[in-house]
Amino acid sequence: MTLVSLRGVAKQVLLPDDSRLDILHAVDLDVDAGDHVSIVGRSGSGKTTLLNILGLLDSPSAGEVQFGDESTLTMRAGRLDRMRGANVGFVFQQFNLLAGRTALENVAMPLSYASGALFWKRDALAAAMLDRVGLSHRLSSLPDRLSGGEQQRVAIARALVRSPRLILADEPTGALDVETGASVMSLLDEVASESGAALVTITHDLHVAARARRHYRLDAGVLQPVDLDHAFAASAHAERSVVVAEPGAPR
Amino acid sequence: MTARLSLAPAAGALADAWSELRVHKLRVLLSLIGIAVAVGALTAVVALGELQRQVMAEQSDRYGGRIATIMVGASRDDGAPMDWDAMDARFERVAERYAFSRTSRIVDGAVTVPVQLPEGVTQLPSRLVDPDYAAMHRLTLLEGRWFVEGDTELLAPPVVISEALWDMIGRVPVAQHPTITMTGDLAGTYQVVGVTPRDGPWDTTPRVDLLYDTYRERLGAMPSDVAVMREIWVPPTIVDELGPVLAMDMRAGAEPGLTISVNRTDWGAQAGFADSALIFQLVTGAIAGIVLLLGALSLINIQLVAMRQRIREIGVRRSFGATSGRIFTSVFLESVVATTVAGAVGIVLVVLVMRSDWVIELMFPGIQDVPPFPFSAAITGLVASVIVGAIAGLIPALVALRVKVIDAIRF
Ligand SMILES: Nc1ncnc2c1ncn2[C@@H]1O[C@H](COP(=O)(O)OP(=O)(O)OP(=O)(O)O)[C@@H](O)[C@H]1O
Ligand SMILES: [Mg+2]
Repeated sequence: MTLVSLRGVAKQVLLPDDSRLDILHAVDLDVDAGDHVSIVGRSGSGKTTLLNILGLLDSPSAGEVQFGDESTLTMRAGRLDRMRGANVGFVFQQFNLLAGRTALENVAMPLSYASGALFWKRDALAAAMLDRVGLSHRLSSLPDRLSGGEQQRVAIARALVRSPRLILADEPTGALDVETGASVMSLLDEVASESGAALVTITHDLHVAARARRHYRLDAGVLQPVDLDHAFAASAHAERSVVVAEPGAPR
Repeated sequence: MTARLSLAPAAGALADAWSELRVHKLRVLLSLIGIAVAVGALTAVVALGELQRQVMAEQSDRYGGRIATIMVGASRDDGAPMDWDAMDARFERVAERYAFSRTSRIVDGAVTVPVQLPEGVTQLPSRLVDPDYAAMHRLTLLEGRWFVEGDTELLAPPVVISEALWDMIGRVPVAQHPTITMTGDLAGTYQVVGVTPRDGPWDTTPRVDLLYDTYRERLGAMPSDVAVMREIWVPPTIVDELGPVLAMDMRAGAEPGLTISVNRTDWGAQAGFADSALIFQLVTGAIAGIVLLLGALSLINIQLVAMRQRIREIGVRRSFGATSGRIFTSVFLESVVATTVAGAVGIVLVVLVMRSDWVIELMFPGIQDVPPFPFSAAITGLVASVIVGAIAGLIPALVALRVKVIDAIRF
């Protein structure tokens, strides 16, 4: 069953000097329930823009976005917001936890936009989710007292607490060292698979991309399926040289 | 997901607002001190105005009579002695046509009575009145009772004494039937049935209140050289028409040389009283209003500055399903909740301060019964703080409404 489908999605923005910038060109993409999709691409290729459109945060300039079986074209803003809240969970590169709020409050936040039992039992649900990501001992810690890996685990718990059908992760390991990134990624894979949610991951890292079932490359706004084995082979030399050149890469 | 009627959005918005305030305690605290002070000031002003009016009205009642009191006086300008009994008869005749609910004759300040005190017989100032006097002047007693009809028939005629005199005779409780003894024309034992409180700490006058009729009987007739006034309590709605008619009736057929005056004496007749109270309230209210406005401006300012830092947070919340309406409500409620709490704190502080003994003593020296804190003042303060919160909350809430989610979470 198709969860989100993009048909001929294009995105253009008007720059301050009145010129038009084409960010996305005729993107077609279907994400099925439970799918794991990775998108790689250079900086500035439009990955975040694509992800925002998938997550109903942004609307395309042309083309159509179908969420579930419904076209989002004519949907009103409030409806979109509620639909996003109920169906989409975001994981950001910079974690984007609410400063000054405890881990528990951060994870309970999405539930405060739900209704019924989800709303009234939000603290218990959030605590259970934090337990699931192995942070049951840090419920009342503030984000600035948590390590990067722990913060991203809180963010994963937050993205998953409302049991969304679609998880969108924008370079979730971008701010983490390789090992922590790997463990965070396997956690994300695990909890996503557990809950049957579709996971779309944007990344620079081919190893992270390799975890997905289907792989895409975004190049100057054009989305194409990619064979990762080729990509690995092509980047093997370059990658090695990066490791050699920056032994103490910033964490 | 559907727009089904639910408590959750409202409860959630309130919870958000509260948690935002809790997290940014210091920021909020600073901006709210101004609000608390302003609301406190406003409440205090309204309360003071209210108390002032209450106290002034009470004091005026004591001197000039309640609204509306007409006073009838008489004098002779031909040197002939004044016949007060004839005046009484004249008044009774006229009064038949009017059915006044309460009237009282008053002799105040012109009469002294010789009272046997521990240090010897002393001439004490006395007030001669009828039983209605107390009701007409809202007189409250410290102890015992005021005169009633039929008191003149008692064997030992009753007197009501001032607290200062009561002190001199040893503050014997009225229940133990204290008495005073007088000499001269008034010789005899008088039963103290009541004690009037002091007007203030300065009030050390030992005074004896006697029934007019008691005094008149002892002396045979009212001395012609004292001035007897007669007060009449009339409904305020008819006082303006009634005054001139009554004056005409009282003067009809008066022998030459007899002058009869009819005046309204209660404070309601004095335009200046109401005006000065109003001006006091207007001026202080305007000052409090300005302070409140400044507080609101600083709150708006601080909220707007904070809004810059909160844009990303708002973006994150929006990406997790917060509608723009919900964000608007939360930010708006934040100010309302904050100013309401601050206002309540200000009001409580003002109530506490204004109930403390030395403040009461400072503001209303010698007040007998401390009036309760005017409820209307507290309500005014609370309403003002909610309104200020709504005004101060609207602008940041509108700013929050315009936050573009994509820009807010892009890094
Ligand atoms: N609202 C906007 N106004 C102007 N330019 C924009 C806007 N949104 C995106 N862009 C531009 O479009 C391009 C694609 O942006 P996007 O954020 O999608 O890239 P990205 O692939 O996520 O890059 P990165 O890997 O660095 O995060 C960039 O050049 C960006 O500057
Ligand atoms: Mg990006």
